[in-house]
Amino acid sequence: MRDTTSKRRRTLLVAAVVAVLVTLSAVAAPLASARPAHEIPVAPATGDLSGPTTDGWEDVPAATVPLASAPSSVPNADQTSVERVHVQAARGDGQLHLRLQWHDATRDVATNETRAFADSVAVQFPVNTSSRPPIAMGGPTNRVNVWYWSGATGTEELLAGGAGSTTRFQNPSVNATAVHRGSGENATWTVVYTRDVGASGANRTTIADDGDVDVAFAVWNGSNSERAGRKSVSEWHYFPFGPGPEGPPYETVLWTVAGIAIVGVVAVTAFGVHRARGGMR
Amino acid sequence: MSSQNDQSQSEDTHINVADGVDHQVAMVMDLNKCIGCQTCTIACKSLWTEGGGREYMYWNNVETKPGEGYPRGWEDSGGGWESGEHKERKTGEIPSEEEYGRPWEFNHSEIMYEGSDEPLRPREGAEWGPNWDEDQGAGEYPNSYYFYLPRICNHCTHPSCVEACPRSALYKRAEDGIVLVDQDRCRGYRYCVEGCPYKKVYYNTVSKNSEKCIFCYPRLEGEGPDGETYAPACAEECPPQLRLVGFLDDEAGPIYKLVEEYEVALPLHPEFHTQPNVYYIPPYAPPQHTDEGETVDVERIPRQYLEELFGERVHDALDTIERERQRVRQGGESELMELLQHKNPAKQYRLEVFEDA
Repeated sequence: MRDTTSKRRRTLLVAAVVAVLVTLSAVAAPLASARPAHEIPVAPATGDLSGPTTDGWEDVPAATVPLASAPSSVPNADQTSVERVHVQAARGDGQLHLRLQWHDATRDVATNETRAFADSVAVQFPVNTSSRPPIAMGGPTNRVNVWYWSGATGTEELLAGGAGSTTRFQNPSVNATAVHRGSGENATWTVVYTRDVGASGANRTTIADDGDVDVAFAVWNGSNSERAGRKSVSEWHYFPFGPGPEGPPYETVLWTVAGIAIVGVVAVTAFGVHRARGGMR
Repeated sequence: MSSQNDQSQSEDTHINVADGVDHQVAMVMDLNKCIGCQTCTIACKSLWTEGGGREYMYWNNVETKPGEGYPRGWEDSGGGWESGEHKERKTGEIPSEEEYGRPWEFNHSEIMYEGSDEPLRPREGAEWGPNWDEDQGAGEYPNSYYFYLPRICNHCTHPSCVEACPRSALYKRAEDGIVLVDQDRCRGYRYCVEGCPYKKVYYNTVSKNSEKCIFCYPRLEGEGPDGETYAPACAEECPPQLRLVGFLDDEAGPIYKLVEEYEVALPLHPEFHTQPNVYYIPPYAPPQHTDEGETVDVERIPRQYLEELFGERVHDALDTIERERQRVRQGGESELMELLQHKNPAKQYRLEVFEDA
């Protein structure tokens, strides 16, 4: 008799655990898939995001953006070294903060030798966010606004309408601070860009609050003679600056229905098994 | 710029100037007259490259041949075109500071202010520099040989430096074909430095831009205080006056005759396919001697070496010079010998011939 009670309890427990696991996976699946591959999450800016290593960045989710050699006519364009950049974005108090991190074993910030090139990074936006420019520095009718940082020259805000057309803004709206930490395999550049969300001006990207804004990234490793078109670049990604970041509403409804169905099936099955065992006795 | 077709040739000449260029400045240097005094080098340096990140630069240099040259080993540093079709460029290398030669620190303060009696000398790191192998040359006594090779930017008809720049910061001036670097467009990528097979574009380590010989265009344009037109300083200041300056397509000028008619003025390393507009009268050395001092009928400077520098046409050029010399020796007249010897600056520098055109 004690034996039977114990078995029944165990069966119920197993059924309950299975039900919880199945329910969790059913609920978790839509949450995980809510971020499409090319989306870079934008968190509300809460803590201190003013520097590359300030505390606030610990609470900001990061996206890992894969990089590959840019197609370019410059010699050895396919010989680049940086394979990914980690990107964090936060918005608040009228500012957009971006933090980019990538592995680079050497800190190259001087260009005072004939063969010396500086580590650099760039963030590229369409000037007109309603259409997506050619990825390689935009096009003549579809220009890009670039936030460029170089270890040698600091921050520049650039306009480009195709390869070779890069032009400096006289009054940049973006600034960047950077730090290189660690050594060997753990050596990392961390660059933080900050721009006033409301900054305006001709050929300057408007940071929307009602939709997505495309963005792409480029990294140069100076010690590998990377400069100009010899660089590691991403595909176009986007910042979901609009409201409703959780994906279409029907997705949640469907997953909820599926979750309830799964729980029901598990419960009925457990009940059936329990009854079958009881009946055999 | 990368292609050249029949339309680019002027109607009244068969000279090939680059697409979009009206006239092409050119220079002929007679290597038989160069004494290696470096007056041209200093004239250029004091005018254009004294400081501000230009310390290591010699837009004009004079190197001993055979020799490593400046920068060291430049002839093997890549750049230029794969072929005369000018479609594919050869990759090149950026020379290091050591290959150019770093400015040396000397022990001036010890000697001048601290009473040291050691000889004046570089402190350390003096292991290479421009003209480190000056007058070394090649060959064995009594048949050793060397000659001097003055070099500036060749202001090529197919400049691979121009093609190498992803920003089109380098360009060939429409009026005279001078190759310049737009300092506002340049972002210091240095593809021009590695793309020039003659290594005549230099990176300014202070301005972070690339710079090069400008053929003294402000002098050509009469921008000096007296408003007069002058040839480039390297030419005007040359003690033996070995340089002719003018336009390649000036058919009445000596450059046209030497390059196109007599074909005795040759570009350096034509196999780089950039079509230089600086031409050289190849060196014509005395024949070899025996140990006893007897002259023998063997050329002192091996033809093969001259062919490496100036291409196959050097044979015909030297044969032509020899033939014309012989003609004069026998009492005849030779326009070529006159051209190579005349001392009239008005003929030597023909820079205003197209001004009314």
